[in-house]
Amino acid sequence: MSIQDVSITYGKNPAPTVEGVNLEMKQGEIVSIVGESGSGKSTVIRAVLGCLPGGGYVSKGDIQFEGKSLLGYSQEEWRKLRGTEISMIFQDSGAMINPIRRIGAQYVEYIRTHEKMSKKDAWDKGVEMLEKMRLPSGDNIMRSYPFQLSGGMRQRVGIAMAMTFQPKLLLGDEPTSALDVTTQAQIVRQMMELRDQYNTSIIVVTHNIGVAAYMADKIIVMKNGRVVDAGDREQILHHPSDAYTKNLLESVPAMGGYRFV
Amino acid sequence: MSELILEAKHVTKKYPASGGRTLIANNDINLSIYKGRTLGIVGESGCGKSTFMRMAISLETPTEGDILFHGKSILGLKGEELRQHRQNIQMVFQDPTAAFNPKMKIMDIICEPLLNFKRIKKSEKEEVARKYLELVELPGDFAKRYPHNMSGGQRQRVGIARALTLEPEIILCDEATSALDVSVQKNIIELLVKLQKEKDIAFGFICHDMALVQSFAHQVAVMYLGNIVEVLPGSSVAEDSKHPYTQALIGSIFDLNMDFSKPIESIDSEAPSPLDVPVGCPFQNRCDRCKEICKKERPTLKKVAENHQVACHLYQEVEG
Repeated sequence: MSIQDVSITYGKNPAPTVEGVNLEMKQGEIVSIVGESGSGKSTVIRAVLGCLPGGGYVSKGDIQFEGKSLLGYSQEEWRKLRGTEISMIFQDSGAMINPIRRIGAQYVEYIRTHEKMSKKDAWDKGVEMLEKMRLPSGDNIMRSYPFQLSGGMRQRVGIAMAMTFQPKLLLGDEPTSALDVTTQAQIVRQMMELRDQYNTSIIVVTHNIGVAAYMADKIIVMKNGRVVDAGDREQILHHPSDAYTKNLLESVPAMGGYRFV
Repeated sequence: MSELILEAKHVTKKYPASGGRTLIANNDINLSIYKGRTLGIVGESGCGKSTFMRMAISLETPTEGDILFHGKSILGLKGEELRQHRQNIQMVFQDPTAAFNPKMKIMDIICEPLLNFKRIKKSEKEEVARKYLELVELPGDFAKRYPHNMSGGQRQRVGIARALTLEPEIILCDEATSALDVSVQKNIIELLVKLQKEKDIAFGFICHDMALVQSFAHQVAVMYLGNIVEVLPGSSVAEDSKHPYTQALIGSIFDLNMDFSKPIESIDSEAPSPLDVPVGCPFQNRCDRCKEICKKERPTLKKVAENHQVACHLYQEVEG
């Protein structure tokens, strides 16, 4: 996976929203992109999956996956890639799931879109994946409606779906931001286990620098659509080259750290 | 200790639920807010922290117990009396976008409470709005803007300015910084602390970020499933927390100085439904130090040190 000097432009706006992003990733590596709201971090990973919203397009540079450029892909080619080779976890998986259909019906449909399989086998596969995500009684969850599950459980359903075909690259767009700290820690731990088990590469976009630092081998810091700092974890945390990164690191409240009163 | 302003005594809130069950949102809560001090309330979503705040600002009434403001119960207040009382306690909300009328200008938003209580004339509006905008470190010219012309952090400052106008003794913040970026969050906290020192305001601050709360709260209350499980000074949260739940909350914080090679600590299971709270300690099914007694008897808050109370069978009460 590599991103080469990519700029992304929305609509007719002459100035690119995101400019000059470079990233090289190896199999099994975890990269996190941190930045504040509006810094363009989500735009970058949406471009990787070819689903930029509202007239966004890559105006410069190239995105390659396993040596092939993704930019010229047709709808049909994208469909084969998404879900099986590259998949994505969203901030709120509850919003991704249809609220008036049971989890099972949607999961089976999802599996059968990508792979020829009987409904029974697809159901069993779904149950197996849910249980791998440490959801108790997968069968029960498949029969539930989304509103019957808690936020953490829905997020795990989202991750289970994303991991069904053991994609080579997993993209996470703020996968833990809407969760409680205890649930966040569980989800982060499970994502790390995926890397250890399946050697999945992960790009995680987050504004929580603590999470980013914990998960990532490499960290990219973005601000206003530009990369202001990039490097491996030690370098960013202990020797940040940019003043913005320093400011960001200092703003993170720490236990027993600086007290305001 | 400074003057006691608001005191909750044995407050319990029950909601009726389907099938004749009751949901106990708050169970026997005793908390006090003192002048010029900050009380932080921490807990997972659904633990009842917002319900408690809503009762404190008279948006809900407790099922049992009493809430005293300067020693007088506020539960019996009605009509005009209640309206006048609302000036004493103001609130800052989580989402500053949803908290304002998008069609009102900033100066109308800030001055609305003052006009409601006839404290200023309409002609003074702009002047007053400018004064409060400057107090929260925004340019006075923002008075003529609309909320959508501002960033999230700026809007939250307007929310604070509006809460300040009536010069309340207590400001309650419900996740007031959760929707903001960390650097903006830091600025807002600095502003709150500055205002507290200048005006001697008491803050009640709901938050789920333990690291943030302990950095500026004088006293921190940890809630779990409607119960207060630990109350301790903010300065001793990092070293002296006793309750297994408090420690689990601290363990699941991603800290920049942590050892990244160690797996992050967390509780594996999820909190039980508040409709189905177990007998005995509410935390029993997630606690790795659970004993026989925890399954039978609900622990009550015990004093373990000065200003430090824990509801856990593992700790013994200290006399004095």
